[in-house]
Amino acid sequence: MADTEKIIEIQVLRYRPEQDKEPVLQSYKVPFTDDMSVLQGLQYIKDFLDGTVSFRWSCRMAICGSCGMMIDGKPKLSCKTFLREYYPQGLKVEALAHLPIERDLMVSVEDFVTKLESIKPYIIPKEPRTLEQGEYLQTPQQRDMYEQFSSCINCMLCYAACPQYGLNPKFTGPGILALMHRYNVDSRDGGQAERNELGYADEGYWGCTAVGYCSEVCPKGVDPANAINQNKMNSAINYFTRFITPGGADK
Amino acid sequence: MEVFKADVAIVGAGGGGLRAAIAVAESDPTLKIALISKVLPMRSHTVAAEGGAAAVTRPEDSLEHHFNDTVGGGDWLCEQDVVEYFVAHAHEEMVQMEHWGCPWSRKEDGHANTRAFGGMKIERTWFAADKTGFHMLHTLFQTSIKYPSIKRFDEYFCCDLMVEDGRCQGVLAIEIATGEFTLIEAKAVIIATGGAGRVFRENTNGGIVTGDGMALAYRHGVPLRDMEFVQYHPTCMPRTGLLFTEACRGEGGLLLNKDGYRYLQDYGLGPPEDKPRNKFMELGPRDRLSQAFWHEQQKGRTIKGPFGSVVNLDLRHLGEAYLRERLPQIYELAEEFMGIDPAHECIPVVPGVHYTMGGILADGKTASSLPGLYSVGECSSVGIHGANRLGSNSLTELIVFGKVAGLEAVKFAKSVAISNPGAIRKQAEAAQARALGLVNNPGGTERMAVLRTEMAQSMEDGCGIYRLGTTMQATCNKIDELRQRYKNLKLEDKSKVYNTEWLLGIELGYLLEVAQSMVYSAINRKESRGSHQRLDGFEERDDANYLKHSLAYYAGDGAPRIEYGDVKITKSQPGKRAYGAAGVQADEERKKKGAANG
Amino acid sequence: MSNRRPYVRSMDGWWKRDAYFIRYMAREITAVFVALYAIVLLFGVVRLSQGEAAFNGWLQYLKTPWMLVFHVIVLAVFCYHTWSWFNIMPKTMPIMFVGGKRLQPGVITGTGLAASVIACLAVLFIVRGMS
Repeated sequence: MADTEKIIEIQVLRYRPEQDKEPVLQSYKVPFTDDMSVLQGLQYIKDFLDGTVSFRWSCRMAICGSCGMMIDGKPKLSCKTFLREYYPQGLKVEALAHLPIERDLMVSVEDFVTKLESIKPYIIPKEPRTLEQGEYLQTPQQRDMYEQFSSCINCMLCYAACPQYGLNPKFTGPGILALMHRYNVDSRDGGQAERNELGYADEGYWGCTAVGYCSEVCPKGVDPANAINQNKMNSAINYFTRFITPGGADK
Repeated sequence: MEVFKADVAIVGAGGGGLRAAIAVAESDPTLKIALISKVLPMRSHTVAAEGGAAAVTRPEDSLEHHFNDTVGGGDWLCEQDVVEYFVAHAHEEMVQMEHWGCPWSRKEDGHANTRAFGGMKIERTWFAADKTGFHMLHTLFQTSIKYPSIKRFDEYFCCDLMVEDGRCQGVLAIEIATGEFTLIEAKAVIIATGGAGRVFRENTNGGIVTGDGMALAYRHGVPLRDMEFVQYHPTCMPRTGLLFTEACRGEGGLLLNKDGYRYLQDYGLGPPEDKPRNKFMELGPRDRLSQAFWHEQQKGRTIKGPFGSVVNLDLRHLGEAYLRERLPQIYELAEEFMGIDPAHECIPVVPGVHYTMGGILADGKTASSLPGLYSVGECSSVGIHGANRLGSNSLTELIVFGKVAGLEAVKFAKSVAISNPGAIRKQAEAAQARALGLVNNPGGTERMAVLRTEMAQSMEDGCGIYRLGTTMQATCNKIDELRQRYKNLKLEDKSKVYNTEWLLGIELGYLLEVAQSMVYSAINRKESRGSHQRLDGFEERDDANYLKHSLAYYAGDGAPRIEYGDVKITKSQPGKRAYGAAGVQADEERKKKGAANG
Repeated sequence: MSNRRPYVRSMDGWWKRDAYFIRYMAREITAVFVALYAIVLLFGVVRLSQGEAAFNGWLQYLKTPWMLVFHVIVLAVFCYHTWSWFNIMPKTMPIMFVGGKRLQPGVITGTGLAASVIACLAVLFIVRGMS
């Protein structure tokens, strides 16, 4: 590449629990080319400037969900955010908002994983079927009803975007509720009633106030705001009719 | 240190590891399973697989076709009895995945759809848009949550196997969050840690694909089989190496050189037709396509791009609507990473390292030569890929053999008890000291990134698509040298909490040893077969001398010892490996011969 | 005893951190104005029940300078309220197919806004016609 070398300043919010009382910004000057992502900038820092900077990454193609971080205050995947967009002013990189910082750019994922495990994120079949009977039939249109919500890569950008989650960590949160909805509207699944116990609760759909920022930042177009808010009507109806019909007016 | 007692330990929670864990849990819910992964399960590299998973489905298809495609695709280096098992159990595993919720793409009538893939005679690749690995991994992970007997150790880094009384009896793992060690005793251990593509410079792999499990088994005397066979995927993004799935070609994508010419017809893959035709042209096997690129490059017919030579992947004729529906992920990749709209422009592509055909020697039941140790997936050489893997066989491999590994591990675990926990404890402490020695190395001078870059460049030079004895020797020397220099590794990070530099240092050790097994296996194979092609007097396939598996044995500090093992041939005698019109002719001849002998 | 010490960052002033949040808070505050104006209208209903003189007195009050300023502000706020309401409305609806194609959010928003404008014009027309 014949470019004269351009240098960009990357400020990284550091936090080493064994030596830092609280997070502190550290600045690095990184030579870059136009095709380099923020992730590659961080890798340069770790390889040649400061081996102690810790961050998660793997696939480099926005499908594994590891590399979410705040870039100039916005939740993004560092592998598909490009340094050229922040030149010449430089950029600030911090761990995802609304989550505890474990180390540098690595947040605690325990709450997310625990919540994921709590929503019964698996098919509870509507009707039984043996393997010999082959696959359940599902038309392309039935598949369209849930496919979007099944595209979540668990990157947690939506949690960094959601102020309700930041204010109230008990809230199940956008991504997990979208996953729950994915199963609820899968034509093969019959577990809505079980999942609605969580969904219709305060920590479920009602923890959401339709800020909508989650859907803005989602790199995969999952639209968790939609997944959550389309259930509030049913939840409200259920609230009023549960004394009339046995088990409530669930889908 | 913490001690956890499990019945079965599984290292790696990708498609293979998760399927094995589910198989154990379903087989016997009372058995304790430790599922250990250095990343959260949904980050495993299975997630990046795009194209699909093969299984005989259409009425015009047959197990014999899939068998022949696979064995021929592997240039007859496959264990044919294992391939027979594989093709026979593929379909039921696809259905099982579907029952667990996998969002397979459908035909209008509601049945699962199948598409064409390279080297496959009939369409048999099940797919979930162009994110099949993603959907399979998430389905398996989410399904695994149903089973309380699976205890996950997320972000635990496995740094050694515990081998006592001639058996594998557990693993030692580092809890990445704290830097503390946990000994996991287990009566059976399954390794499912994936491939080792990161030894090369340009590759489709994620950062975690560093050959961990291969190196661990290797160090304990288990041979690594067929390590010289490394797959170059023909259509990767220049410089980053990110994958453009074979499904692009299955849906009708064309490969064009600088003259807009479909050059594959010059390499025994023609004649070209308007519609994609199985095993012709762009639907030939990956090794042939990558090799064709190399030849075009020699002839000066590739296009000069900012990152080197490329060819064009032309998807324009498919139209935006079709592309967005069938290939949404690669559409986004082209747009976001390259600023290219595939509906209106060609995508520049280049071959990149994608898959490691070789791995831990495993028999048809995934058992290794070390009792109690099993392996599944890309880290394993169970014998179905031979010298070249067909696309969409590896996702199927994960679930067919994931189940086998799980069930075999159950049988073994029930038949033994942990012997000598005291000795195992001592081993664990020694392994802990070795791992910590890396951080506390006082005389460190070598920068990790320098060693890694030199290794990756050298492997690309010596173990490329075409190989020469001279460059392979240079790579052998370089890797030997790097292994010595590794002893002087300098690490800056001395902390315990999430010290990722330390773990990268351990991974570099794994990479160097696996790289060494690859290049020494390569230089000793004096023939050309599948993805191992030489230009130094050994251009032909030599069945007389080399219809054998390479076996690399760890030799401590020195170069690995390379031995050879037999190939199991049952139904398919080695024949001409032909595609395109020549392939059709070879099939006819084989049929006639079969009828004559019949 | 591990060395982990997860650091929890403060949420103080969170809504100032991003323009998106400021717009959200503005949207939520418009609901307060809706409530305020409902009280104004409630007064009107009460005055109506007290006879023509009382009602006319209320109407006169509404025409005083400060109340006119109040109305201009409220009108602006109500416009933003309507705009943000219909912008978020598609999020509350399930995926719908019309003639085989997926109903786009913009259609829902556009329809709602159009309906609002028509409704306002209709009310204006009727009231004009009556007086």
